[in-house]
Amino acid sequence: MKAFILEDIEHLRDHLASQRQVFTPQYAEDSTELDWLPLTDKTASVTAERPVLPTYPAKQFFFPDREILFQFDGSAFKETLPEVEPQVLFGVRSCDLCAIAYQDQFFEQDPYYQARRKATLLVGIDCNQPCEGGFCPSVNAGPFIRDGLADLACHQREDKSWLILAHTSEGEALIERLNLQAADPNLIAQRNEQETQVAAEFPSAEHIETGIQRINQAQVPAETWQNMGLQCLACSGCTNLCPTCSCFTSYDRPVAEGIERERCWDSCLYDAFQREASSHNPSADAGQRVERFWFHKFSDEYVKSFGRYGCTGCGRCEKTCPGVIGVHSVMKRISAAL
Amino acid sequence: MNGFMTPQAIHIAEIYDDGEASRHFTFEPADGVKHSAKPGQFFTLALPGYGEAAFTYLSLPDAEGRFKALIRQAGSLTSALFKCDVGDLVGFRGPFGNSWPINQLLGKRVLIIAGGIGLPPLATIADQLAADKSTPIALIYGSRSPADQVLKYERSAWHMYMPILETFDYPSNQEQLSGTPLDHVAEVEAKLGGKPEVILTCGPEVMMNAVAHHFVENGLSPESIWLALERRMHCGIGECGHCYLGSSYVCTDGPVYNWQQLTQLHAQTTT
Repeated sequence: MKAFILEDIEHLRDHLASQRQVFTPQYAEDSTELDWLPLTDKTASVTAERPVLPTYPAKQFFFPDREILFQFDGSAFKETLPEVEPQVLFGVRSCDLCAIAYQDQFFEQDPYYQARRKATLLVGIDCNQPCEGGFCPSVNAGPFIRDGLADLACHQREDKSWLILAHTSEGEALIERLNLQAADPNLIAQRNEQETQVAAEFPSAEHIETGIQRINQAQVPAETWQNMGLQCLACSGCTNLCPTCSCFTSYDRPVAEGIERERCWDSCLYDAFQREASSHNPSADAGQRVERFWFHKFSDEYVKSFGRYGCTGCGRCEKTCPGVIGVHSVMKRISAAL
Repeated sequence: MNGFMTPQAIHIAEIYDDGEASRHFTFEPADGVKHSAKPGQFFTLALPGYGEAAFTYLSLPDAEGRFKALIRQAGSLTSALFKCDVGDLVGFRGPFGNSWPINQLLGKRVLIIAGGIGLPPLATIADQLAADKSTPIALIYGSRSPADQVLKYERSAWHMYMPILETFDYPSNQEQLSGTPLDHVAEVEAKLGGKPEVILTCGPEVMMNAVAHHFVENGLSPESIWLALERRMHCGIGECGHCYLGSSYVCTDGPVYNWQQLTQLHAQTTT
């Protein structure tokens, strides 16, 4: 890993834009939603303080909410892999980078995901303050970027200059022509110390830790899941915004000659998610579906496969849930249930 | 195979009725591309305009790449399939999933317990075990009524190789066995030449769970009781999520599990 010093982060952003299309979180005109949009002259400047997460995580760049899988013209099935221009996601936060790394493993064999992912470089920004509702330190997903999860990790220092860590050879190549000054290795040690300080500023996440234990020891009373199931509107807000949720369905759409098979995001909280043609439904009960969703986010079983929990502590589910079963509410109730 | 999620074109080569709302289909590759499969694996059929669904092999692909399935009309896709004729083109992906543990069965006394439409997933392993003279084998096949029975021709062929007991929830005469397969275990054990050392079962999940409990209570090891599960296997490659069972994906880790594995999965979550 090579480290450099940079005074003006916008200089880096503009430099990247001269090589690839750059997407970065910004507010569209008349919108209060922070969204992933192409970089323009009007894009605001970058800050590491008071981080705000974009409403949607970056997963839609690799696993879009809808995409065509193949076409059928009446006699043959033809795969339709996406063609993606080289792009950069600029300003991805640590929680979302952990989620991308998780999905990189999950979709390792998926050519649609991989075509998009391979066209994309990731530039991350360390969060120097907790965000509202986030708890990344409790699930080892932040606040600073884990080694290797971004091509470039940008860290704003107290003097407002930026420490740029090139984690990949692609990241190094991106900034090669900027001729940045190499950073003093002590700055990396200082960054590590600062992460400990920022992590300590997060509110208590005892309910998260207790909840994880209870889920893994199967200590959550069925009645607690049942009550939460009653409060699930099956709106799919949490699964749509969750950066690691990956369930999908597919359907055929008629086109001029034949059909297209499209896949789109699905939600394990829908009542018909597992229903078979025979009407047999192994998860007919909403409480069971809520239980399964949180098991998928916090079970040690998934740590065996992915090296981390399926939750990266972004807190989006809490913000979007129209009921009261986002992550903080659920984990508080699970913690209090015994 | 054409691609990851993209089907290969196959033709329907033969169709005949076989039991209540059920038909026997033979498929052959439209492009000459053959594949091999193991007993217990499954494949998907794509009906353009109707999507895709999972079915079990009734016979594994032969030298020409032809294979069979027994399909019951249940939803919109199978209804569209039942309107197809010989020669029509459909899509195929597969094979998917694990298989019956043939090496752990040879030489043991094997009891196969099938319920209703759960018989076809057991057909390929029954064929292989029937061909091995060192493996005593017996079959109990439970159905709601005689009209619901499937695989008439296959069963008449198996009669030469294994005792078969057929039970009915609603028998049509007094000579037919009444009740569930578990009501007739003693009779089949007598024909098998002793208590079974391995159970292979497929059918309604309630029936399979009852079968597993019965034989565990009678001293059989949970690792010797094998069940083939049905789930909504949508993608076949462990991605779409519809077939989850605890932390397991039935389409890749299953559909065949032993009772020890299932007991552990059932302890994780209630689904």
